[in-house]
Amino acid sequence: MRSINLHLKVLIIMLLLLGVSITAYQILGLGIPVTQDETDDLWSIDTKVTFTAIPHTPVKVQMFVPPLTQGYVSLNESFVSNNYGVSVNRVDGNRQLTWSARRAKGEQTLYYRLVMTKRFSNEKPSDEKGPVTRDPIQLPDGPERLAAESLIAPIRQHSADIETFISETIRRVNNTNDDNVKLLLGNDSSIGKKAQIVDLLVSMARVPLEKVHTLRLAANLQQNPELWLRSYNGKEWLYFNPETGERGLPNDRLIWWSGDTPLITVDGGRKPDVTFTFDSSQLNAIRLAQLTNSSIEAAFMDFSLYGLPLQTQQTYQTMIMIPIGVLVILILRNLIGLQTLGTFTPVLIALAFRETGLQWGIGLFTIITALGLSLRSYLEHLRLQMLPRLSVVLTFVVVMIAAISLLSHRLGFESGLSVALFPMVILTMTIERLSITWEERGANHALKVAIGTLFAGSLAYLLMKIPALVYFIFTFPATLLILVAFMLAMGRYRGYRLTELVRFKALLKDN
Amino acid sequence: MFGLIKTWKALSAMGIMGINRRNADYVLKYNKRSLYPVVDDKILTKQRAIEAGINVPELYGIISTEHDIKLIDTIIDTHRDFVIKPAQGAGGDGILVIADRFEGRLKTVSGKIVARSDLDYHISSILSGLYSLGGHRDRVLIEYRVIPDELFNNISYEGVPDIRIIVLMGYPVMAMLRLPTRQSGGKANLHQGAIGVGVDLATGLTLRGTWLNAKIEKHPDTAHPVDGVQLPDWDGFMRLAASCYELSGLGYIGVDMVLDKDKGPLILELNARPGLNIQIANDSGLTQRTQAIEGRMAECLAENRADSVEERVAFAQRLFGHQTPVQPL
Repeated sequence: MRSINLHLKVLIIMLLLLGVSITAYQILGLGIPVTQDETDDLWSIDTKVTFTAIPHTPVKVQMFVPPLTQGYVSLNESFVSNNYGVSVNRVDGNRQLTWSARRAKGEQTLYYRLVMTKRFSNEKPSDEKGPVTRDPIQLPDGPERLAAESLIAPIRQHSADIETFISETIRRVNNTNDDNVKLLLGNDSSIGKKAQIVDLLVSMARVPLEKVHTLRLAANLQQNPELWLRSYNGKEWLYFNPETGERGLPNDRLIWWSGDTPLITVDGGRKPDVTFTFDSSQLNAIRLAQLTNSSIEAAFMDFSLYGLPLQTQQTYQTMIMIPIGVLVILILRNLIGLQTLGTFTPVLIALAFRETGLQWGIGLFTIITALGLSLRSYLEHLRLQMLPRLSVVLTFVVVMIAAISLLSHRLGFESGLSVALFPMVILTMTIERLSITWEERGANHALKVAIGTLFAGSLAYLLMKIPALVYFIFTFPATLLILVAFMLAMGRYRGYRLTELVRFKALLKDN
Repeated sequence: MFGLIKTWKALSAMGIMGINRRNADYVLKYNKRSLYPVVDDKILTKQRAIEAGINVPELYGIISTEHDIKLIDTIIDTHRDFVIKPAQGAGGDGILVIADRFEGRLKTVSGKIVARSDLDYHISSILSGLYSLGGHRDRVLIEYRVIPDELFNNISYEGVPDIRIIVLMGYPVMAMLRLPTRQSGGKANLHQGAIGVGVDLATGLTLRGTWLNAKIEKHPDTAHPVDGVQLPDWDGFMRLAASCYELSGLGYIGVDMVLDKDKGPLILELNARPGLNIQIANDSGLTQRTQAIEGRMAECLAENRADSVEERVAFAQRLFGHQTPVQPL
């Protein structure tokens, strides 16, 4: 006995040490985050280009794609273009994509897909510097020049630096009641024309200005590139909205390209059209790190559960929590003294709750068990043997579940449908055991046990679905060794159960 | 919270054994799993007892297949009263007690007439595993009907009172008389509402009792005091219980015995996981006693000898007997 005790102690300590040291290595050595940061947005942008090819001529499509200098990082970039050659070049701080083909016929569709995210690009985007000065755009003598000069004078007066100068210019150009502005714009009051006038005026003060074309990171939104203006003040880029003079680029804007060149030019094609589709999904930090492959050693990733395919990972995220549920039952039964039906029935019920949610789960469990019990007591009168009786109860449970699904579907509760997966065999066994308990030990005891089972199941379910806990155990599976050490220690626990303190209270009355 | 810690300490000081300690230190340590069938199957228990020359209610017959049901006629032919039991039943379920005949039909203790078809159906249910643990196929046991000694008429309600002695490695540890009540439906199971009454190991005098986890001193149905009753042939009970260790090989058991009017102490069944309420009935903890016995066993081991049944009984009576007489509540 003594040698067994020593054996057990050594085993417990070894498991504990192993679990703690592996987890500590993962946290301190590899720097894996302990908690799951708020999930990061992952954007996938689909750009669809359509045009009609002119027969018998070579086709060359040039389109700008995001330069990704803004603190975004590209996780994946793909080009779907049958029979087209693809190349990407950097041109003046832009990236230009070129699709080319010897010949093409009819309607052509090309795709460019970019998957990107904001995080894990710690190094500050290498902002290339812009020019700080330039020559004024020369206007021929005439009314335009006069109008421009009379506009520039008050702007100079009302501004202190480049920033205020540009925004003042934008404000004035957008005041279409001003005769000078009217003259300069002519009949064209589009943003493009306004931006052009702003550019002209600003150039007269030798201040450089650049057009940038941006897209909003927003899902399910029909959009075209939006024009912004920017200027380099020697330290950083200043961004301006050409219509309102508003300063600063909002966070959800992605710079697609800069300059005056149009987004797309097609040689050997007609009617080019570009549509953008934005889609966002969420991804946790670990998965991102794995994709960007920057901060965590790949070797670790190969041996962690994150190395599994995504589908399998989800299954394991459920499975790896089962020991937590079992631990709950162990504590409730051996430390507290709660009575439950069977040993691990509550864990199975907790798993079933995952399909239905807690309230629905408890409701359905109660209803089906109550009805099943009344059926069981009716069958008792018929004096059936065990196997046929169990079969009848199981069939009844299936029919009940189907009926509840149908009813809840009619009433418009979708959660009723998920019940289909509520494990029927567990319910049947619960009904059978509960009814035996009822006969052997009375209704009170049966009720106590049923409530105990539901309580243990609910508690296990609630613990098993805490996202932070799921993340922790899934990321640091060595914690399971610590759990095992605790369970082993519990195997030799000899103290009282909490309920026994009440049970034996009578013994203390006289003393 | 403080109250709980206080209760914990007080119980611990009294040596009250909890479920966890019983399972870890006694059931798991002294009871080999492979020997459980001996106590789980009443037929096996009985056969072992007969081989060892221990008194049990006489076995009239065994039915183990549906085909054999018709043999019941020859089995009960010569017996006016008898008991039908599932061999692996638990908690007294499935037991049918036939006390008499009435115009060729059978009559239970309470006077209910049982038709032959009912009897056949009952046996068939037992065979199909209706009453057995886990629903396994079972066998039917037909045996002598115990008629309780008249001594118990005042402190029992229907049914047969039985005497349980907890035995550790052949040393009696604690004893209890279990009295059926109206609530327990004539069954002598504490969790079904029967009364447990402590018994002094040395003298066989009853002490106060426990009913539904509380202490009592009168039978709730007959209002007679349960304490101060002298059980006859007490040493016989003690020897019977102590010898069950050799019979079963299990180190920690509860031995259930009855006192028959004519045949004296008989062994009914053994239990490999005896309950803990016996401690309330005796107002005493099990742990100190079991530890004393373990000390004695260590001594014997050192001297390289083993106590005989008589020595074990004497040891238990010397150490655990002569409890302080009951003070009026």
